Amino acid sequence: MIASLRPTLLFPVTRMSTEPNRTGSWRFVRPVYRFKTAPCSAACPAGIDIPTVEMLASRGQMHDAWVHICRENPFPSVCGRVCFHPCEDACNRAELDAPVAINALERYIGDAGLAARSPLPFSTAAPLQRQVAIVGAGPAGLAAGYFLTQLGIAAEVFEGSEEPGGVLRWGIPSYRLPKAVLAAEIDRIEKAGVTIHRGRAITPDTLAELAARYDAVLVGSGLAATLRLNISGEAIIGDGLSFLKQVQTGSAPAVGGAVAVIGGGNTAIDVARTLLRQGAQPTIVYRRRRQDMPAFGHEIAAAEAEGVKIVELMAPVSAAAEGDGVHLEVQPMTAAEVGADGRVRAVPAKQPPQTMRFNAVFSGIGAEVAEPWHRPSGEADTIRLSHCAISCAPRTVGYIGDPVTTENSVAHAIGSGKQAAIALHALFTDGPEAVVPAVDRCRVGPGPALSLEIYLDGERSHRTIRMVAFADINTDYFSRTSRCAIPALAPAAAAAGFHEAVSTLRPREALAEAARCFNCGICNDCDNCRIFCPEQTILVDEGGRRSVDLDYCKGCGICTVECPRCAMDMEEESA
Amino acid sequence: MSEPINADRGLTYPGNLGCPGCGASIAINHALKGLGEKTVLVIPASCFAIMAGPYPMTALKVPILHTAFASAAVTAAGVRAGLDMRGDAETTVVAWAGDGGTFDIGIQSLSGTAERNDDIIFVCYDNEAYMNTGVQRSSATPYGTRTTTTPGSGWKRTRKKNIMEIMAAHRIPYAATANIAFPDDFIRKFAKARETRGGTRFIHVFSSCPTGWGVASSLSIKIARLATRTNIFPLYEIENGTDWTLNMEGDLPVGDYLAPQGRFRHLGPTDLEQIQQEVDANLALIQERVAATRVRQAHLKLEI
Amino acid sequence: MRQVLEGSHAISEAVRLAKVQVVAGYPITPQTHIIEAISQHCADGSLKARFIPVESEHSSMAAVIGAAATGVRTFTATSSHGLALMHEVLHWASAARLPIVMGEVNRALGPGWNIWMDQSDSLAQRDTGWIQLYCEDAQDALDTTLIAFRLAETVNLPAMVVIDAFYVSHTFEPVDVPAPETVDRFLPPLEPRFRIDVDHPRALYPMVGPAFFMEMRRSIQDGMDAAGPAFDAIAGEFENVFGRRHDAVETVGCEDADLVLVTTGSVTSTARIVIARQREAGKRVGLCKIKQFRPFPAETIRAVLGPAPRIAVIDRNVSFGSGGIFAREIQGALCPLEKRPAVYSYIAGLGGRDITPETIAEVLRLAEETPMPAAESCWVGLNPEVRP
Repeated sequence: MIASLRPTLLFPVTRMSTEPNRTGSWRFVRPVYRFKTAPCSAACPAGIDIPTVEMLASRGQMHDAWVHICRENPFPSVCGRVCFHPCEDACNRAELDAPVAINALERYIGDAGLAARSPLPFSTAAPLQRQVAIVGAGPAGLAAGYFLTQLGIAAEVFEGSEEPGGVLRWGIPSYRLPKAVLAAEIDRIEKAGVTIHRGRAITPDTLAELAARYDAVLVGSGLAATLRLNISGEAIIGDGLSFLKQVQTGSAPAVGGAVAVIGGGNTAIDVARTLLRQGAQPTIVYRRRRQDMPAFGHEIAAAEAEGVKIVELMAPVSAAAEGDGVHLEVQPMTAAEVGADGRVRAVPAKQPPQTMRFNAVFSGIGAEVAEPWHRPSGEADTIRLSHCAISCAPRTVGYIGDPVTTENSVAHAIGSGKQAAIALHALFTDGPEAVVPAVDRCRVGPGPALSLEIYLDGERSHRTIRMVAFADINTDYFSRTSRCAIPALAPAAAAAGFHEAVSTLRPREALAEAARCFNCGICNDCDNCRIFCPEQTILVDEGGRRSVDLDYCKGCGICTVECPRCAMDMEEESA
Repeated sequence: MSEPINADRGLTYPGNLGCPGCGASIAINHALKGLGEKTVLVIPASCFAIMAGPYPMTALKVPILHTAFASAAVTAAGVRAGLDMRGDAETTVVAWAGDGGTFDIGIQSLSGTAERNDDIIFVCYDNEAYMNTGVQRSSATPYGTRTTTTPGSGWKRTRKKNIMEIMAAHRIPYAATANIAFPDDFIRKFAKARETRGGTRFIHVFSSCPTGWGVASSLSIKIARLATRTNIFPLYEIENGTDWTLNMEGDLPVGDYLAPQGRFRHLGPTDLEQIQQEVDANLALIQERVAATRVRQAHLKLEI
Repeated sequence: MRQVLEGSHAISEAVRLAKVQVVAGYPITPQTHIIEAISQHCADGSLKARFIPVESEHSSMAAVIGAAATGVRTFTATSSHGLALMHEVLHWASAARLPIVMGEVNRALGPGWNIWMDQSDSLAQRDTGWIQLYCEDAQDALDTTLIAFRLAETVNLPAMVVIDAFYVSHTFEPVDVPAPETVDRFLPPLEPRFRIDVDHPRALYPMVGPAFFMEMRRSIQDGMDAAGPAFDAIAGEFENVFGRRHDAVETVGCEDADLVLVTTGSVTSTARIVIARQREAGKRVGLCKIKQFRPFPAETIRAVLGPAPRIAVIDRNVSFGSGGIFAREIQGALCPLEKRPAVYSYIAGLGGRDITPETIAEVLRLAEETPMPAAESCWVGLNPEVRP
């Protein structure tokens, strides 16, 4: 009875959520996930997606990291040993403490791939029913073959020698690149569908045959001839490149005592360090200053540590046999102004020439094509690209590798092979006019490095070409850490034989080093955007991709500021 | 890492009425991660009282009891008593007040509750002035601040009340500072407060207010982080009022924190020097207490 | 069982019998004995409740608001300055629609400090949305407290049980304290119509904008409108269970009266004697006790007082600038009548000054002798020797 006297109640108790408040209408700027280009990846001639690789490696996903490298470069274990790693020079982390040891990580990841005997990744590109012949199984040719295969184009490589690898096989000494590592990575390329014909030297005549039989031919014969010194008595100076090859084949002459190596590039260093291991006491004679040497700094340092002497500012003038040795006459030089190439020139000093006595003298000053047809002849309808050239008539013949790249390195050779593969694919599918736009489209950042993943419209194709600068990094999220020490043999032990002088990082070091990477310009799932969004508007889909719920985002911009790696931008709402 | 779309918005709904970049919004998101769904929030007059949703809407997925300005702590104590009488020991009761509702008008009931050691968590989300009414000074407003009641050359010349020392003096089981810019530490402290049952726990949250401080909304976290990195707002915990732990030590000069904020723009080098000295002295005091705690704990171990 | 109890403890006994679950309290004379006794009940286990010894009356009301919001039965008590300090939260409790019951001991507000009887404290809270029930003696206090719980929980409004400082609060009288089982028959456990519930999370008492506020205030008024009939029904049930009758408005001999005296609280007991004597002496005087001040029983007042030519109202309170508050309310209630009694307003007994039988006789005499009531209230019992 009394219960019936209860009045109805209308009082402040909520009945619904605030979801009808579409606070997105307050917004005048909106956040967008806009992945950008990491400077390392743009600097990598092979265009490897380094920030993603390091992100995966830091999580211990070594296989995934390896797959990401191999999409752009089938030689991670090789490059992890021999690459001059311009990526590290570009690394933003250098401004905080020291660059990430990208090269050592590539080696670690590559070796993990080898140890796991992982097959190379296969793209899902549709087969094109085209066949390409490649002359020369050096890094450019093998890379071209691999990338063509990835693009659905059959590739056969014709190699003059009995073993593929080119400069990797014959030029780079074993203490830098064990041949088993090389063989394993080449074996994997073959298993990925690239046919290698060994002992099939190509002549201009057979080249014409190939050009007629195949839809295209790529010439990647490299620079097989040592440059001449053009000094008197050159005949008694040994050819450094030949010497390196002889060491590989076990046919090198015995050399002992004081030996001179002329040059300042990596070949000179390789020759000198090889001579040291053969029992000689090598001296590098270089016409400019030590800091002008084009060889990699760490190679120069290793050579000196092992006992190689370097005589700088001495230009060989002549060589003459003297008993069972050689008299090398050298002109003291002095540093002059900066030359057209940006390097400090050396000019003869006001001193008389000197004579140095050696048991033998080798040259290691650089190389050129062995045959004129190894480089493009300059036909009018040749498409000249940054890392290759393709002439389309009368037959389609392309040129790859050192003769056509601006810089000569393994990474450039790989980039060259990739560019040619992309160019041919575009040519085959859409004709000559399509080549340049296709290549432009898959540049990594401002280029010239190219990405096959971008060409195949993979995830990287959504990144902007804007490069992440150090100022774009939110360094609140990074404290200074020391770069890993690269494990290496003591110089004396290294010099005692052809064991690898440098070894692979240990797992814990590799994880820690990979974690140093800023992962510039990409999302590494740090979740800051979501953690700090006052409105909880960051949504994550099943693939881990994030998006902003614009119904509620008020446009405060915290996500973009707190993104440590510049993977987000704010953009104005259109009126 | 992968989660379905729209899933995890935690225990808040979108559509709250906070300003863009509001630190308190971030604070509640963090806090509820540490507190969980078995939580009742008691909210006195504050920005959050409005942000939490006007009738008939609520922005939270936990029950809220809005209460009068001065009454957050004791209303929470009443809720606790009621839940206890209903046999609900599981639910955590949390008072969620601004600095006015803590340092000023709320301090009496807070002190009373802490002295009775009522089983609640009291959270002060401190944005250092009366923001909801348009940026008037409170006793949490630091030295040197311009507000609408300390305007122009009349900027505040008294220091911020040290609420942590006040709470420590109550010898409550747990008191901690937390900063929205350090979510792991923040969430850990809320979880710890939740687990430390049977007494009053106090968490002093540094919660930036872009609107009231004269900083861009996008810098809300950045500026909060600087508060701790400059030791303006050190992160520490006090157990039983006597055992001090410093969680983080700053490494930057106070100017890095003060300079970007409109409310401090008028300060000159001498003012900065003075503030630096006070901040250093305050940190040193905390460090002394941390050291004394270690010595005492070492002695205790020896005795055992 | 009959016990000799002071009025304060009569309320405490009612709280015990009502099985209140959370009590908050803060001492203030002359209320303190209520919460002291409840503390004792909690300590000795005779009341299974949580007692929260708060640091202020503002906090005691806030504490019981928090507790009541969880759906438990709550009680607090206060007086004078304590009630004034609660003012803000009194509004909160009523608009929150929480059936809190509060013992309120009428006492004057300072300055100068005065701990004695005066209704100015409770009447100053008349617009806060609280039900107000005034008690004449200790038994009334006990009974009214039990009724108040039932009433508050029926209409979801808080209720104040008001007793006089000292005259009731500290005066020992025989009181029939009912058996718990009997009380249980009258007052079932609270079944809250809403409560804080983590399984059904909602926000209680958020901001309400102009689009909804008036409707919510109207709902409080509806609650008050329901409280009148509800009181009558509950008092009826109370009489059935306990055999004691309590009316919102009680009358003695009003039917044929030329003059009706209106009182509240303990002064009614004094007036009963004076009225009885005068009726014996042949005077047609009546007595009307108003128990229920909020909601104000205007309908009953019109029915009871309308026929009388003259009405004398004793107010132990004053609304400065207006006059006796009960008198003004009665005048307002009678206003719609075509033929209205003359209402004489008397202010008496402020700050603990005794209202003796002589004071009451004086009031009756003045009302009889004054042809037309003055616009202002007439102050009786002023000492002419106390001068500026």
